[in-house]
Amino acid sequence: MKKTKLLKVPSRGLITISMVSLVLGFILAYSYSISSDDTDENASDVSGFQQQEKYREKLVEQKERNKELTEEIIVKQQKVRDYEQSFVESEESVEELVEEAELLRLLIGDIPSQGKGITVSLEDGAYNPSQENPNDYIVHESHVFKVINELKISGAEAISINGQRLHANSYIRCTGPVIVVDGKTFPAPFTIEAVGDPKVLFASVNLGGGVVDQLTSDNIVVTVGEKDLITMPALRDDDYS
Amino acid sequence: MWLPLLGLILGISLGLLTEMQVPEIYESYLSIAVLAALDTLFGGIRAHLQHVYDDKVFVSGFFFNIALAAALAFLGVHLGIDLYLAAIFAFGVRLFQNIAVIRRIMLTKWSERKKQ
Repeated sequence: MKKTKLLKVPSRGLITISMVSLVLGFILAYSYSISSDDTDENASDVSGFQQQEKYREKLVEQKERNKELTEEIIVKQQKVRDYEQSFVESEESVEELVEEAELLRLLIGDIPSQGKGITVSLEDGAYNPSQENPNDYIVHESHVFKVINELKISGAEAISINGQRLHANSYIRCTGPVIVVDGKTFPAPFTIEAVGDPKVLFASVNLGGGVVDQLTSDNIVVTVGEKDLITMPALRDDDYS
Repeated sequence: MWLPLLGLILGISLGLLTEMQVPEIYESYLSIAVLAALDTLFGGIRAHLQHVYDDKVFVSGFFFNIALAAALAFLGVHLGIDLYLAAIFAFGVRLFQNIAVIRRIMLTKWSERKKQ
């Protein structure tokens, strides 16, 4: 110690101190840079949240605008129909055309529909352990199709499945135990409502060898009932999908 | 006097330029290392002012304290105990004591100079 002190104390001490200050500076600066990184991340989180909020507000605005426009459409369509009605009064020849237009509108679900009709409900058959294949006793979309086709042929004005009204471009898809109608999922039992002449509709589904017989032979519980008043709202844009 | 300053500047720039990422659970190690380094530094200054400064004690203390603090924190993380609090407490108390001693020595020096 004494020897080194005599030889070159200042430079040696300086070197050790510079080593120490190098390490100290490194540690200090490194932890500083890490903590500033952290604050940066927090800042970006906050701005991301704000952006999300902004987009959400925009979406809400757009939806409100859509709603307003849909209401406007309904009003305008009502006007058009009123004009047509006045044509009927003046000219007999257009009457048929107007009736056809009315029917077509009902078909595409543009206007609300209400009146007498029937309801057909399809339920899965009772579970039968001796039958291994559950496909043999659950309701498939093909059964729903049969009922709907029969109802349409018999002159039903409007048809809905579990409250979802069908329009000209509706689709029905089978996805396992449930069916998808226009993007909305419905489980069994399915209640199909149809507006139309109840007598005709009832007779047509109950024909010998007709829809009800076919479905019953497929182990499906079918109940058909007449109803005095069935109301179906007009389809809005959100209902199409 | 320029060599330690140069070392400090070099260290700071190295630390700022390093793009290394440390996992979040190990960040407590770093704070303890900072504390240990500061403690040893002020200890060294105090020893120098009290004329008991020793190279070996200082340098070994600097690195050993940092290593010990990091080891304590490591053990604490693995045992699920906040052992690094012990290190922070110990270093914090010593830091304040060292600074207090330095302040007193400076004060006495200043008042002596004033008397003269």
